[in-house]
Amino acid sequence: MTRIHVPFMTRLVTWLRLFAVQGSWNYEILLGNGIGFCAEPALRLLPGGRGGDKYRRALARQSRYFNAHPYLAAVAVGALTRAELEEVDPAKIERFRTALAGPLGSVGDRLVWSGWLPLCSLLALGAYGVGGSAGLVVALFLIVYNVGHVALRAWGLKVGFSQGTEVAKSLSTPLLRRSPEWIDRAGALLAGIAVPTAVERAVGIGGEVSAVAIGAVLIGGVVLARIPNTSVGWRLALGILSIIVLYAVLA
Amino acid sequence: MLHRIDDRLIHGQVVVGWGRPLGVGFIALVDDTVAASDWEQELYRMGVPPEMTLYFADVATAEREHPKWESDSRPGIVLTPDIGTMARLAASVPVTEVNLGGIHHAPGRTQRLQYVFLTPEEEQALRDLAERGVKIFAQDVPGGKPVELGDLL
Repeated sequence: MTRIHVPFMTRLVTWLRLFAVQGSWNYEILLGNGIGFCAEPALRLLPGGRGGDKYRRALARQSRYFNAHPYLAAVAVGALTRAELEEVDPAKIERFRTALAGPLGSVGDRLVWSGWLPLCSLLALGAYGVGGSAGLVVALFLIVYNVGHVALRAWGLKVGFSQGTEVAKSLSTPLLRRSPEWIDRAGALLAGIAVPTAVERAVGIGGEVSAVAIGAVLIGGVVLARIPNTSVGWRLALGILSIIVLYAVLA
Repeated sequence: MLHRIDDRLIHGQVVVGWGRPLGVGFIALVDDTVAASDWEQELYRMGVPPEMTLYFADVATAEREHPKWESDSRPGIVLTPDIGTMARLAASVPVTEVNLGGIHHAPGRTQRLQYVFLTPEEEQALRDLAERGVKIFAQDVPGGKPVELGDLL
């Protein structure tokens, strides 16, 4: 079977649509509509074209229930579209789709929500700690964080498009499996630098923000994190600390 | 050891949501189809961090391995994709509690919670399990509110 070439413009449009992959998120089919929306431009390449029987069936299949991390959904869109273009057996596509969703969600949660996002936040906090202005702190966070996720979407789509149902091989590389751990370590190092320097700077601003208040928030956060065995305490403490820092930056 | 029904099997809520606070050392994925499919196993393996062990088992193997998992000193999760698989397992090994973590929308299912949709047959299967003394509760993540079966149906 000849491999259908996906033109650059179609890839570009798919990548742009990925930024809206969560646009119709709901508890019934979660990311399902989003996956269908993103896969749609490339599905027009199927024999029969837009509105053709194969196009309609593939689009309906890809718009069903799907759950994954929104950034790594790029891998799913690429791989599922490739599988559809190769006219893989629909039953196998269904199973592939199911098997792909969870692991992408898991990798995404570890890599982004509990890795990249806190790391970028700590980087910004550190920048504040060493004397950065409000504009610099905000710009640093927005630029670094966004470069990461824009690149992740582009990489995911490329890998998915080129590997199709073989995509697991690219995703099980030590680089991707180990990187959450490396990001965690970098985060711990940054936390060590950022928290004390940021607290010192925040405390130093007038008498409005007292060391006692910040200390109480941090201790309270640790206690909360210990008691219910969840991350709620940490989130609350970091949230309150961020507000204090934000106040100090603007004051 | 947590027994969980989740049609997404390995995903963030399981690995990060439950895995981190419980310090989970292993996940036993019990599914007849996945146990017989190398490429699906390869995908699921990708979702598990290197420090967690992932076992694949069909129901028959799970029945044999269950005592070994139970005696493992590390906290673990036994994961099935549907109520039927968990019911078959619970028929032959001791299961005291079952966590409904995610059963999503499909034709014929009615919404019970944001993450639990059930057919009448599935509701009956849950009632049968409860009658055999298994405590059933729905809870997607550790920070979420547990919902007892009585309040669910």
